[in-house]
Amino acid sequence: MVTQPQGSAADAAGAAALFVQSPWPAVVLAAPLAGALILAVWGRRMRPRAVAWVGVTAVAVALAGAVASLARYLSGRAALGEAFAGLRWPLWPFGEPGGPAVGLGLLGDGLSLWFALIVTGVGLLIHLYSVGYMAGDPGFSRYFAQLNYFIFAMSLLVTADSLVGTIIGWANVGLASYLLIGFWYQREDARAAAIKAFLVTFSGELGLVLAAALLASRTGTLAYYALFERLGGVPPAMLTAAGLLLLWGAAAKSAQLPLHVWLPDAMAGPTPVSALIHAATMVTAGVYLTARMYPLYEAAPVARSAVAWVGALSALFGALVACGQTDIKRVLAYSTMSQIGYMLLGVGVAAEAAGVFHFFTQAFFKALLFLAAGLIIHRLAGEQDMLRMGGLAGSMRLALAGYLVGALAMMGIPPFSGFYSKEAILEAAWARGGGVLWGLGVAGALLTAFYSVRMLALIFGGPPGPAVRAAAAQGGAGHHEPAADRAMAVPVAILTVLAAAGGWVWVPGRTAWAPAVLEPFFSRFREAGGPAAVHGAPLPGWAAWLPVAAAVVGALGAVAVYAGASTPARTRLAAPAPVAAAWGAGLYVDHGYRRVLVQPALRLAGWVSRQVEAGGIDEAVEGVAALAAGASRWLGRLQGGFVRRYALVVLATAAVLVLWVVAGV
Amino acid sequence: MTPGATLGAYLAVAALLFAIGAMGVLLRRSPLAMLMSVEIMWGAAGLALVAAARWWLDMSGQVVALLAMMVAAAEVAIGLALVVAIFRPRERVDVDDVRDLAG
Repeated sequence: MVTQPQGSAADAAGAAALFVQSPWPAVVLAAPLAGALILAVWGRRMRPRAVAWVGVTAVAVALAGAVASLARYLSGRAALGEAFAGLRWPLWPFGEPGGPAVGLGLLGDGLSLWFALIVTGVGLLIHLYSVGYMAGDPGFSRYFAQLNYFIFAMSLLVTADSLVGTIIGWANVGLASYLLIGFWYQREDARAAAIKAFLVTFSGELGLVLAAALLASRTGTLAYYALFERLGGVPPAMLTAAGLLLLWGAAAKSAQLPLHVWLPDAMAGPTPVSALIHAATMVTAGVYLTARMYPLYEAAPVARSAVAWVGALSALFGALVACGQTDIKRVLAYSTMSQIGYMLLGVGVAAEAAGVFHFFTQAFFKALLFLAAGLIIHRLAGEQDMLRMGGLAGSMRLALAGYLVGALAMMGIPPFSGFYSKEAILEAAWARGGGVLWGLGVAGALLTAFYSVRMLALIFGGPPGPAVRAAAAQGGAGHHEPAADRAMAVPVAILTVLAAAGGWVWVPGRTAWAPAVLEPFFSRFREAGGPAAVHGAPLPGWAAWLPVAAAVVGALGAVAVYAGASTPARTRLAAPAPVAAAWGAGLYVDHGYRRVLVQPALRLAGWVSRQVEAGGIDEAVEGVAALAAGASRWLGRLQGGFVRRYALVVLATAAVLVLWVVAGV
Repeated sequence: MTPGATLGAYLAVAALLFAIGAMGVLLRRSPLAMLMSVEIMWGAAGLALVAAARWWLDMSGQVVALLAMMVAAAEVAIGLALVVAIFRPRERVDVDDVRDLAG
């Protein structure tokens, strides 16, 4: 067993943290990367069955690596006690000697492995589901290559041992999401959505890199543990700036206000990709980053409360807009924004473990909702408008079960998984964030219940809608292969169980598996007596149950509005036209961006194209050409072809030179 | 060297020869005459070299003059060949007519 402090000898100051060398975290990265490379190079020539095997196996191996890492981590912790920080596997050092100790290595502490486990676990289920969902697609092998690459990028993001590695993974996640959102590149909207997602999230990368530069300039390292040891030497204003820059990056990736606009459009990708983006990879990167950097936020209260406020407002905003959407996937997109808002709220009120716990439960129920929605969309031949659905309860038992459990978990109804995580976040928000943040969260919970039940009512309740009748007329699922259906059904069934029971790993007073993994990191860099204890704050007994009560009220409200189930009732909420339009358009945030950023940018581009390009650069280039032509015409006159004149010039020149030499001497 | 004659006299003759040659090159329109004029200029240079060598009793000037003679012979051979090649297709032999490379 080799133990050593993270980073080079320069980091010896941070030797308090013990690391154990272990290659298991590298397996988590290597397997999906290998799968992606194999499929990218040979995928076109492989049969779809082989493609599916390679793609799924790669992620299964990664999951096994994550499980083995966690086992190694737990045994190391049992053997070494408090000082043990995690597993470590150096990949390669780079950076100049004597300069900042920058290196790329892998880190397997509780937080990393927690994320890696979900990324690969939920990723595996989504891969399996995709085998059925994408069967027959001409881009089958490309799809799996990119899906594997996505898992690799996200795994790198969460297991990197330094901010540099996380940024590299971050950028790769951006590229993978671009590829997969634009998977159906023949469609204009998919291409536009891919570019939008890439640009918006890329803007966040800017914040990330700036924050890293700020921190490196003062601490001389970007390796997490060494960095956290040295945060004391950084001026508070700089910490606040770095915290806000990190929040910018997190908000862009995690689709938080006001950078959430790419998320609904990203629904243009295949539905399993949406599930992957929303549940396991991509949008949770911001949660990981802010949770990972908690020692910085600990020292920068302003930035921390900014995190909490962005999270709480996004939670409410996402839930509000979700209530007015008619596209099934857009409802889920805004619900993700809302749920991630809760996670950031948790991080922002110093309840990082609760926020990360909510990531855990959300991964299950959101993946479940998306995959169940995928079943429905698959059955209805691509129909996504909920107003054209209805009456599916009888014909799609599995989708109904999955949707019901997923919705209950998302609403936070006990004993489904979302209840425990949301409860932990809201308790911490009450105790340390104040009543307003807590109130925002509870209002979000009410709206969450409302749109969840609305979704259930519109899809499954009432008489069959037009899309359902059309699908039934065509023979329903008659053209599906049973194997493909099985591949889709198994993950939905597994996720149904996980979404129902996933929360039981952390029931206050009963089980504490989640904190056992997470708390060592979240208490390491916090002074004892600080706001570490998540459940230590007093909360009035009635307040603990208020979120659940709010959810019930919201659910009952939705039942009252939509249970009538006649067609007019479906659109009852849409009655005041301007409100409905604003709702459906996501409260015009997109329009605002178009007005403030996109259109001025296009106008600037047009002006540059006309004035600078045509008027400036073109003119300059043509001017140079004209100058050369004119000069050559003028000089050409010297070459008269008159031999005796040449002779005279030579003679005269010689005479002048002779005179000059003679006179000069 | 003849007593009384000085270097200046030789150089004066050389300068005169050089001027005659130069005038010939500039004023004659027959390429053959121009070549001959060039030869006169070569001769002028050679005279100056030999005279200077004798004056300072340094034989390298004479060596250079001999060298120049040989180069001049070679030059005449090439020059004549060029003249023949250029003027074979033409009816008149006049350098002013050869202006194919006018800019």
